[in-house]
Amino acid sequence: MEVRGWILTSPYLLYSLVFFAIPLAWSLWLVFTNWNLISPRIDFVGLDNFVRAFKSARVHAAFFSAYRIMGFFLPMVLVQSLAVALLINSLPWGRAFFSVGFFMPYLASGVAVALVVRGILAYNSPAAPIFKALFGTIPNWFGHPVLAVFIISLLIAWKFSGYYALIFLAGLQSIPHELYEAAELDGARFFTKLFRITLPMLYPAFYTVLIMAVGLCFAIFTEPFMLTGGGPGRATHTWYLEIYYQVFQNLRAGYGAAISFINAAVTFTSVLIVRRLMQRWGRALGYE
Amino acid sequence: MNRRKATFTGLKYAAAVILLLISIFPYIYMVLQSLAPWDQVNKVFIPSRLTLRSYIWLFTGTEALVAKPWLRAFLNSVIVSVSSTSLMVLSAAIIGYALAKLPFRGGAFVYNFILFQMFYPAVILLIPTFLLVKAFGWFNTYWAMIVPKAMSVWAIFMYTSFFKSVPQEIIDSARVDGASEWRIIFRIMVPLSKSITIIVALFLFMARWEELLWDLVVVQDTSMRTLNVLLATIQSSYNPYPGPLYAAATILTLPILLVFLAFSRHFSQGIRLVLGK
Repeated sequence: MEVRGWILTSPYLLYSLVFFAIPLAWSLWLVFTNWNLISPRIDFVGLDNFVRAFKSARVHAAFFSAYRIMGFFLPMVLVQSLAVALLINSLPWGRAFFSVGFFMPYLASGVAVALVVRGILAYNSPAAPIFKALFGTIPNWFGHPVLAVFIISLLIAWKFSGYYALIFLAGLQSIPHELYEAAELDGARFFTKLFRITLPMLYPAFYTVLIMAVGLCFAIFTEPFMLTGGGPGRATHTWYLEIYYQVFQNLRAGYGAAISFINAAVTFTSVLIVRRLMQRWGRALGYE
Repeated sequence: MNRRKATFTGLKYAAAVILLLISIFPYIYMVLQSLAPWDQVNKVFIPSRLTLRSYIWLFTGTEALVAKPWLRAFLNSVIVSVSSTSLMVLSAAIIGYALAKLPFRGGAFVYNFILFQMFYPAVILLIPTFLLVKAFGWFNTYWAMIVPKAMSVWAIFMYTSFFKSVPQEIIDSARVDGASEWRIIFRIMVPLSKSITIIVALFLFMARWEELLWDLVVVQDTSMRTLNVLLATIQSSYNPYPGPLYAAATILTLPILLVFLAFSRHFSQGIRLVLGK
């Protein structure tokens, strides 16, 4: 048993050594150097990379863009996924069919979707007359900072809402029927049941979804890379775009590594705060 | 009263269908544009007639700026995604079995380390892993795209938690019959966990097929690019040819959709197991 266990897990141990432990140690060294991927000279620069990153307007832009996107993305994805889950759950038949259907956006490659979105939002697209009728003018979607953030957030919400809906759906299906029956006997109406039973009982699902959704906002790459390049005016300049730009365009490996450390710290802190807030809400609802 | 209820149910189905159509509208638009005559691409929602010109141009076009990179890119995607996914599923089944069913000293530590790795921010490893792969001389090769993505801690975790629920008696009686560990894993454990295998494999394949950042940085030659990366990087030079770009996007998306729909029977059960963790 002893030996077999180690033999069978040895591929993992080897993999972790090469692709986890070594890169980890390497990154701890990299952040204190000014290596530019080409020069044979590598200087130890102490905390310079971090100091520079904290002062950099580009890093500030990345920091704020994550929260701007979150501000649009969280309400959109929560409303969409919850609505879809409630709708599917209320259907007498065909739930599996609709679950599969609404999950389909999750399967899309961001690259393909970006292509479609750019086509639809183009100035002379077939959708342009509709926008013109709605807004009086054809919006310059990617030329306006708020609209650009809105579109990027909408795309990500579109992708994830079916996935999150499944989490909510699983939560909905675990709510005991007796609760609703008892409430109906007391004359509770739709909204009373929704706010007094359904949403509180969905707390575990909310918890999972929110933690996932918040963490996601600090790791966005494909959509802005394809559609805005971080613009206009760095409104959609995400953390990953900045890391990509510094390391793979500017070749500043040490500086880029420092930014990725800052990104990890900011993500961790933000998720922790959301966790604490959620736990407070959970305690108020009587969850441990 | 009953009639009102029936109307209400009907309305709910109507709402579900409309919402679903909006949800998959980008797919519909993409496929229709890829089949549209070139003078109608990006100009109408529904083309007046359908043609395969964009697809034919993509794979045989002499007008192409780069000679037929698409077929090669598609093959690159297939090679990379299939090998990477198979390795991830295979290793996860073996390691998951060892962690769930072979009590050995240090096993708990390995398991906890996997959990730690799952929640460790991957972004920190991006740059050093890139440097490592370059140091191995793997820049511009399949190795760079396959080996660092040959194992998934998430998949190991999934298999470990699922295998734990398999009754020990099944394994013990197989051992009495003289079955090897190998046989137990691939003849008993994996077949028993069909729905989890399908979902894990589908998620891993999808993530691998659609990887952008990693495949973008470890490969520079156009001939080594995956379809996803090629489509992402070539768009500006294909501006006069939107039709073929939609065709490429369709070819990029369709395999995943078809695999997903083919296994959708197992989806509801499998996804619940995955989400339950």
